[in-house]
Amino acid sequence: MTARIAALLLACTLPAGPLRAQVLQHLSLDAGVFRLHFRSAASGVGETLSGLAAVGRARFFVGSVSLETSYSQGHLVADTGTAIARDMVDGSAFLAVRPLSWLALKAGPHLRAYVAPGSTERWVMWEAHAHVDGSIIPGMLDANVEGWMAVGSAVNVDPGARGARGGQAGLILRLWRSPLWARLTYVVDQAKLKNDARTETVEAVLFAVGLGGR
Amino acid sequence: MNRAAVVLTVVVLAAAAAQAARAQTPAERLARGIRAYQDLDYDSAAAALRAALAGSGRAALSDSGRVSALVYLGATEFFRDRRDSASAAFRRLLLIDPRYRPDQLVFPPEVSSLFQDVRLGTRAVAVSAPPLAQITAAGDQLVVWLYATSYHPIDVTIQRANGALVRTLYQGGAGDSLPVLWDGRAAGGAPAESGHYVLRVDSRGSDGRVVRSVAVPLEIATLRGDTLAWPPEPADSLFKPEHGAGGTGVRALITGLAAAVTVIALPSLVAGGSSGSGDRFAVVGALGVAGFLGFQNQRRPQPIPENIAANLALRLNWQRQVDSVRTENAARRANGRLVIRAGAARILETP
Repeated sequence: MTARIAALLLACTLPAGPLRAQVLQHLSLDAGVFRLHFRSAASGVGETLSGLAAVGRARFFVGSVSLETSYSQGHLVADTGTAIARDMVDGSAFLAVRPLSWLALKAGPHLRAYVAPGSTERWVMWEAHAHVDGSIIPGMLDANVEGWMAVGSAVNVDPGARGARGGQAGLILRLWRSPLWARLTYVVDQAKLKNDARTETVEAVLFAVGLGGR
Repeated sequence: MNRAAVVLTVVVLAAAAAQAARAQTPAERLARGIRAYQDLDYDSAAAALRAALAGSGRAALSDSGRVSALVYLGATEFFRDRRDSASAAFRRLLLIDPRYRPDQLVFPPEVSSLFQDVRLGTRAVAVSAPPLAQITAAGDQLVVWLYATSYHPIDVTIQRANGALVRTLYQGGAGDSLPVLWDGRAAGGAPAESGHYVLRVDSRGSDGRVVRSVAVPLEIATLRGDTLAWPPEPADSLFKPEHGAGGTGVRALITGLAAAVTVIALPSLVAGGSSGSGDRFAVVGALGVAGFLGFQNQRRPQPIPENIAANLALRLNWQRQVDSVRTENAARRANGRLVIRAGAARILETP
């Protein structure tokens, strides 16, 4: 970890050169902001919250395999008057394989927690993702679509987790002859409790700026 | 009658003898003088040799003949116990050919010794310049060899025909032989212009006065160097196309629109029945615009980086050739080519 941090600092601080180019070929970092919408529905009763979250992501590439980790944290407040405000913390770690230049398959754990005064709802999901890239302007503009589903899930709320699925689509803009890029992504996922006791849907629009990667 | 016949015979014989004497060439007189010297008839030898040297115009001896006559005359006068006359003959010889040395197989050591004494006391320089020399490039030089009778100070200069100094090539002592170099440039460094010049060698006496000068006329012609032709521009056929044909752009448009439609449909696909938030339409709009931009971009001819780089290298290579020719031509125009023709050396002053 220390080595990665050192490499990251090196990549950010060193002037352009072979070393930085080599580091950035294997490492990608991005950070941004989510605008979140959370909807919970149970037996015809629902609550809606929204807020902002900060997100950071790091990806490390070795050949066609990569390790992707992300972390986000934000605060949700009620859109309707009765819901309790809460914090949302989300983290994931996926191992990704890219069998084709336009296709990546990912799998790994995804953890999410809603922290409200007096109670914390924790989700653990093991997810499988399929990610497709499409070029709009080669080397400059790419679109991507991703879908996933939880192959295993658990929650500390009765009656337990039934499952989850989600998807995202977005756009990546790369600056000409620069390791900098930006992405705009729409993300939505939904987790369900058993017996359809409750569904929790999170929608977000993400804007992030990144460095390096492929 | 007999008496008259005798007188007539004497007159005819005398006239014939005089006619024969007049008919002798300087070379024949020289040969006669040498024979007389070899026969130890020094008086006859001196008379014949002086007669050979006295000729002028068409009757004059060649330089080599004069040298030969003078060395025999010097030796003759030496054996006639006339050392001053002998020295004078040797001095005249040295002024004609400062490099001359008597043949020790022909002349005895005492004659050579006197010649050596005279040589050391005579200040003269012989100049040997190539009849034709060219200075075509930096480093080329006209090489003139100087041969001095004895060590003494000399000045070597290049002058215009009117005596104006162009450049001083050498100032100092000259002993046996000395090469003097000239790069064809004036004192300021500019190439000499076409015209008549003089290479002048002044011999100085012990008091510093010029005691003898030799001038070699130089005719200099400046020929401007031929400039090189510009390298031809690379033919159009050598350039590769820098842009490929434009595509339809449909694929880019479809990619953008498909992603936009996916964003619209995702809430329904993931959370069935959910209408989704309005925020996602920002992403839909961005994808739509991106798809349209991609559509426009792909319809334009696409640049081919490899071909652009290859064409750039071709143009740079041609430009380098042009620069090289420009530099070379500038040097040729600045330097030109000097053709130097040297004439026969003339002795300007004698002590």
